[in-house]
Amino acid sequence: MSTDTQTPQRSFDGWKWGGRVFLTLLLIFTVMPMAWMLITSLKTGFAAMQYPPQWWPSEPTLSNYTRLLDPSNSVGQDFLRYFWNSLWVSTATTILAVIVAVPAAYAFSRFRFPGRTFLFFAVLLRNMFPAVIFLVPLFILMRLLGLVNTHGSLILTYLTFGLPLAIWLLKGFYDNIPIQLEQAARIDGATRFQAFLYIVMPLSTPGIIATSIYSFIGAWNEYIYAYTFLTRHDQMTLPVGIQRFFSENATDWPGLMAATFMMSVPVVVHFLVLQLYIVRALAEGSVKH
Amino acid sequence: MTSATGPAAMSSASTRAPSRRASLGQRIWTQRADYLYVLPALVVMLIVIAYPVYYTIELSFFKTPTSLQLKDKIFVGLENYTTILTSGSFWQVTWQTLIWTFFSTLFAFLLGLGAALALHGEFVGRGVLRALLLIPWVVSAVAASYVWKWLYHSDFGAIGALLVQLGLTDQPINFIDNRSTALASLIVVNVWKEFSFAMIMLMAGLQTVPEQLLRAARVDGASPWQRFWHVTFPHLAGVSTVTVLLLTVQNFNSFIIPWIMTGGGPAGASDIWITQIYQLAFGRQRWGVAAAYSVLLFLIMMVLGYFYVRALTRGDDARAGA
Repeated sequence: MSTDTQTPQRSFDGWKWGGRVFLTLLLIFTVMPMAWMLITSLKTGFAAMQYPPQWWPSEPTLSNYTRLLDPSNSVGQDFLRYFWNSLWVSTATTILAVIVAVPAAYAFSRFRFPGRTFLFFAVLLRNMFPAVIFLVPLFILMRLLGLVNTHGSLILTYLTFGLPLAIWLLKGFYDNIPIQLEQAARIDGATRFQAFLYIVMPLSTPGIIATSIYSFIGAWNEYIYAYTFLTRHDQMTLPVGIQRFFSENATDWPGLMAATFMMSVPVVVHFLVLQLYIVRALAEGSVKH
Repeated sequence: MTSATGPAAMSSASTRAPSRRASLGQRIWTQRADYLYVLPALVVMLIVIAYPVYYTIELSFFKTPTSLQLKDKIFVGLENYTTILTSGSFWQVTWQTLIWTFFSTLFAFLLGLGAALALHGEFVGRGVLRALLLIPWVVSAVAASYVWKWLYHSDFGAIGALLVQLGLTDQPINFIDNRSTALASLIVVNVWKEFSFAMIMLMAGLQTVPEQLLRAARVDGASPWQRFWHVTFPHLAGVSTVTVLLLTVQNFNSFIIPWIMTGGGPAGASDIWITQIYQLAFGRQRWGVAAAYSVLLFLIMMVLGYFYVRALTRGDDARAGA
């Protein structure tokens, strides 16, 4: 329970143990699917198709991974291309998102211009709208702009849909940078923009990193737009590519599990390294807003 | 948002801080440079958000040829809307959407709350545990859907085999190709994917519960349950409202899990609004009907959005002392 950390235990042990049991069960529920994904990815196609299943592969093999990472066969070629496409789209989105979100978040944090509150909530409200509402009109728009089947269509879309959260997260960081630092710089003759560039920017690096990671994960995992805007398979990103891979090799579950595992590695590693930043940023944005 | 950056301190950043009595036009003019910072974000949002919203509303009053040749569209008034409301599947899909949204939100919230409470306080391995519990939230929904599809596999799935080995069922259950279990099975996946979101939000909320109050309650002999219900929970009310609203919106709008795992099947048993809209638009090219459906969804979201903004601003007002 939330409260018993520093008390000598009296009758609350029941609560504490209840909490431990709950956490253990929750952990099993959380980890089991991921563990099974890993175990399956180490099996041969034949070993995966057995009943009852081999809970641990009798002959573990890395062949599923080597096949996906080997550019000399067609499966590996496709997989590496999807991986590269995802990497490029996510990185471009992230860089643009930071360039656009930083000034906006700074303005929302520091300035009191008319319409500020309205605009800020208009930005936040974007979160309320499902991707599907925008799908048909954006599809038409992308056709008009000649962007269907290009990565540009995805980058533009992801940029917009990542912006609200990016602005929100960054605003939380700017709110925590003391205004006196900028005032001191202004007194020393810096312009407002110089104060922003040389004082505020360096101090907000952790915020920018957290925001970048967040945009990256969002773009990396996005599926609906990639699925709708891209039909040429040399352009596909991983989530869509994996689906195509699956529909062509319907029974190759170990290969599919190896592919989903490798697709998850970049985001999980990113996230684990920076989870503290992200959790804190989200928490500050959501609780104190 | 420390106390040092209250509204007064912040407005002093703007060197040309206008007096409160200046007219709106004057204030906009004197602070015109401020808008430059927000402009890029606004332009992008206008192109990719405002324009599509307008366009969806327009399309919903027209019949557009399947080829999406916009110059050939015909004005049909409200016909698309009546088509939806009178179609046989509409109420079934709506009912399924409500079940999906309600139970996903409920269980994600309860698991998240339990985890947040159990993780509050210091113990060995807390950081690792929290990190592990957060992984489903960052993993791609597409990956998660395939992993669960494999776990649920009717012949070689681990869950079915496990239930048989534990003696709970005679033969593996067919989870997702079965009309009566499909939706429930998908809800489990959805809860797995998003309970950690509720967990983070509530962990943050727990940090705002004053330690002294809990101690005082303990001194007064309040039981753990009483302390939770009378001290902790009221402090979590605000963040809980926001969390539940965000989860509701997110679940109402889920697409990937049902789409990849069942495609809305079998026989529409796991179809929800979003999968329905997608099929209408990109499956059957009935653009007008899909647009009208989107407008209805949009209206529901506006209502939820109103409560969301209100929940957020209430916190603001309280802090400003208004």
